[in-house]
Amino acid sequence: MKTRFITLYVDGEEYKLDVPVNRTLLQVLRYDLGKMAPALTGTKLGCGTGECGACTVLDEDRNSILSCLTLAVLMDGKKISTIASLEKDGELHPVQQAFVDKGAIQCGYCTPGMVMKSVSLLERNPDVTEEEIRAELEGNICRCTGYVKIVEAVEQARDQMKAQAGK
Amino acid sequence: MSEFSVVGKRVPKVDARAKVTGRALYADDIYIPGMLYGRIVRCWEYAHAKVKKIDVSEAKNMPGVVKILLPEDTSGYPSYNSGTMDMFASDELNATWGELGEQVIFTDHVKHQGDAICGIVAKSEEQAERAVEKIRVDYEPLPVYLTAEESKQPDAVPFHPDKPNNMAYKVPGVIFPEGYYGYGDVDKGLDEADLVYDETFYVPKQKQCQMEPHCYIALFDDKNRLNVWTSTQMPKPVHNKLSRIFGLPMTQVKVNQTVIGGAFGGRLGLVGEPATCAMAMAVPGRPIKVNYTREEDWVASESRNPGFWKLKMGFKKDGTPVAYDANFTTLKGGYYTHAGVVFVSGILARAHYKFENWRYDGASYFTNQAPCGAFRGYGNPQQSFAMEQLIQRMCNETGIDPVEWHMKWHRDIGEDIYGFGVPIQSCGAKEALQKGAEAFKWKEKRKKYANQTGVKRRGIGMMLGVHASAGFPVLLEHTVATVKLNEDATAVVNCSISDLGCGNHTAITQIAAETLGFPMEDVFLLAGDSDANAFDIGAHSSRTIWTAGLAVKEACEDAVRQILEKAAKFLKVDPKDLEMKDKKIFVKDNPAQVVDLADMLWKGIYAFMDPETFQFPFERGQIIGKGDFMPFANNPAWYACFVEAEVDMETGAWKLIDCCYVNDIGKAIHPPSVEGQLEGGIQQGIGYALTEEIYYDANGLCLNNNFTDYKMLGPSDMPRCDIHLLETPEPYGPYGGRGAGEGGLIGPVAAAANAISDAAGVQITEGPITPEKILKAIKEKGR
Repeated sequence: MKTRFITLYVDGEEYKLDVPVNRTLLQVLRYDLGKMAPALTGTKLGCGTGECGACTVLDEDRNSILSCLTLAVLMDGKKISTIASLEKDGELHPVQQAFVDKGAIQCGYCTPGMVMKSVSLLERNPDVTEEEIRAELEGNICRCTGYVKIVEAVEQARDQMKAQAGK
Repeated sequence: MSEFSVVGKRVPKVDARAKVTGRALYADDIYIPGMLYGRIVRCWEYAHAKVKKIDVSEAKNMPGVVKILLPEDTSGYPSYNSGTMDMFASDELNATWGELGEQVIFTDHVKHQGDAICGIVAKSEEQAERAVEKIRVDYEPLPVYLTAEESKQPDAVPFHPDKPNNMAYKVPGVIFPEGYYGYGDVDKGLDEADLVYDETFYVPKQKQCQMEPHCYIALFDDKNRLNVWTSTQMPKPVHNKLSRIFGLPMTQVKVNQTVIGGAFGGRLGLVGEPATCAMAMAVPGRPIKVNYTREEDWVASESRNPGFWKLKMGFKKDGTPVAYDANFTTLKGGYYTHAGVVFVSGILARAHYKFENWRYDGASYFTNQAPCGAFRGYGNPQQSFAMEQLIQRMCNETGIDPVEWHMKWHRDIGEDIYGFGVPIQSCGAKEALQKGAEAFKWKEKRKKYANQTGVKRRGIGMMLGVHASAGFPVLLEHTVATVKLNEDATAVVNCSISDLGCGNHTAITQIAAETLGFPMEDVFLLAGDSDANAFDIGAHSSRTIWTAGLAVKEACEDAVRQILEKAAKFLKVDPKDLEMKDKKIFVKDNPAQVVDLADMLWKGIYAFMDPETFQFPFERGQIIGKGDFMPFANNPAWYACFVEAEVDMETGAWKLIDCCYVNDIGKAIHPPSVEGQLEGGIQQGIGYALTEEIYYDANGLCLNNNFTDYKMLGPSDMPRCDIHLLETPEPYGPYGGRGAGEGGLIGPVAAAANAISDAAGVQITEGPITPEKILKAIKEKGR
């Protein structure tokens, strides 16, 4: 397989690597970066075919992307944010904290993708409604919670992020 | 004001932070230096075939290939039952279902699409995948059996040497000499009934769809120990099974349970452990990871038993239930796994209502589809789909309010509801119905939606349900737990109990902290380590709180007893006169006489003699409490579920409006976990009733092994969920708690089906109740 040298900026760190052109961003994050730094296994593989959203990360514009459908070489020179970027100095991101507070986490496998999708959503639309949250989360499957506490958590995070922004 | 200090509190889950930061380690997150990657070569082309020849000549020369394991390389290992059914039940009960060990690691008889043919170990996952493509298998296709009728023909290819007519399991026989499970005279009851309903329901094949695909790591190390990393629901039975399959003493097998990314029955017993371990045994010293793709997960792990539920029910005009006569024929798929589901389905049906006469029979037939076994609810959703729809039909005809019928005829305290001589000691059915009907505004809605016309029509449906709190008295219920008190007055609970994500580890820690009188942060639960943990059958049958909860409570009570005895010796009083609070032990009548727990535990371990008196200040020794528990009761949680739906009469499309779910949990040890399981159960239960089924083509090949073609309810499809936890008195469960896990899924099944039929005016007997079926029924009725 052909390879290409690429540079990725993941969670603020620069990585220079030689990747096969068929390698997905998810594979690079989960398995290849582990050889250079702590592996970024927080991003999960649920289906590998873009159907479940467990692999959701954010691109340079803070849009959510499916890392299992994104070829790593296409991200050359780009910034990527994973679940590992959210916690700052031991403080959880408001979305993370809301997931903990509301009990929106059961098996936890969809959680990193669900959290990243919600972060992107709230950054783009700070006034998002419950209906919009439900529509936006359609691409992230959770089999444990019935989405009830997840939607509640995103609403709590929305309110808290707005309150913080207003200060 | 709660009487408990930790139990019942909405504490953060013990695993929440690790999961929300992405730091929790699931099996595929674990990398061990020197790791190799295994792939299982599966038969994707046929659902039934004989393997004639495997040509590995090209594959073995592919880059990175380390080892190829053929069926003959693993044929020395004994065959096994992946469901570990033989470990759940007594030898006598085992004898009734015959030899189950029909599964081999790699087979030459493909019984379903995706059956395992051979294994490849390579240096990378991609190299293993590429080598799989180069394996050439010659198959001799065999006739494909997709129904019981096809499979039981006399000339059909046998799936199992001990199972004539390809019948995997049949209910009566040795256990029921009269030939069926039940009581009374059903034929007479049906003769005397005023109203008799006779219907055959089809209940679909549902997939667990847990979000973490199956993934395993195995390493046969330099101490000749077989180390396995797996997210199994039952580490101890897997521990023993692997030791027997690979001929190693249990001390030479170590099961490390990884964080479980959902299970719902799909990780019950053995799934990919034997194949992964066989690869590890073939390449000693190298850790081998086998990571299933989603489509492999779909075909290679068990799903819900589908089949035909024939049900005849007789009632008096006033609704008195006089006769129940049922037969459930399930399609087993290629392997036995949990064929007993068909029996449990009958037991759970019987548990519900006071029918005067009762008869149940059922059988499972091998077919060429992915194996069916354990899935949350274990037979109860199937029976509920049938029985509750016929009850609704009777209520519609007689004009009886279904809530009142359920209120009147549910089984109650003192009744032997399962039929095995174990009366229930508590029952919150009436309270659940009452609370639910009020919260849902049942009476008002019933009136409002009675005579609708127009394109979009609303309807309401309800059901009452009951599920076990454990497997007792049918299945083995045994958990051993210890609690070790450290010298700083903190505690480590040692128990093998699994947390499938439902919050079990949080709730068990709460039970331990409550019993010890410690703050929650001073208690740590050590689970998932087969070397350290004593026996526990594993997480299934909604049993964790009931059995493991009581085992841990017993261990902690034993520790408290030892604390009081030790302090009593020091204070020279009777232990009965002592009390412990905030880690201080004092004399009840004289609180000034006090011992500090941390001081006493420290000096019990760092036990220095007084140089003058040659005495120890406290009795020497570290306190370890033990609980070795089997329940002798099984008081189930009753639940009432109410659903409101809207049906478009022109398209058959439905929309879910409301779901009110009341569960008589007894005591919610960790309320968010119970609510969460019920809310998640609504997604799975309504999905089972309305959208979810695995479809096969005429050749037995799966048509929808992915999340696009297999439709689960998404966030926008969900109804508004209104959860109520009832806490009616429970004399036996830990702090009054009952089992919660499975009930969550069961209630919404029939409640949703009934709401749809109430709205559309047609009852659909074939699940899942899709718009196409609704529209067809509406048109047929209009004709």
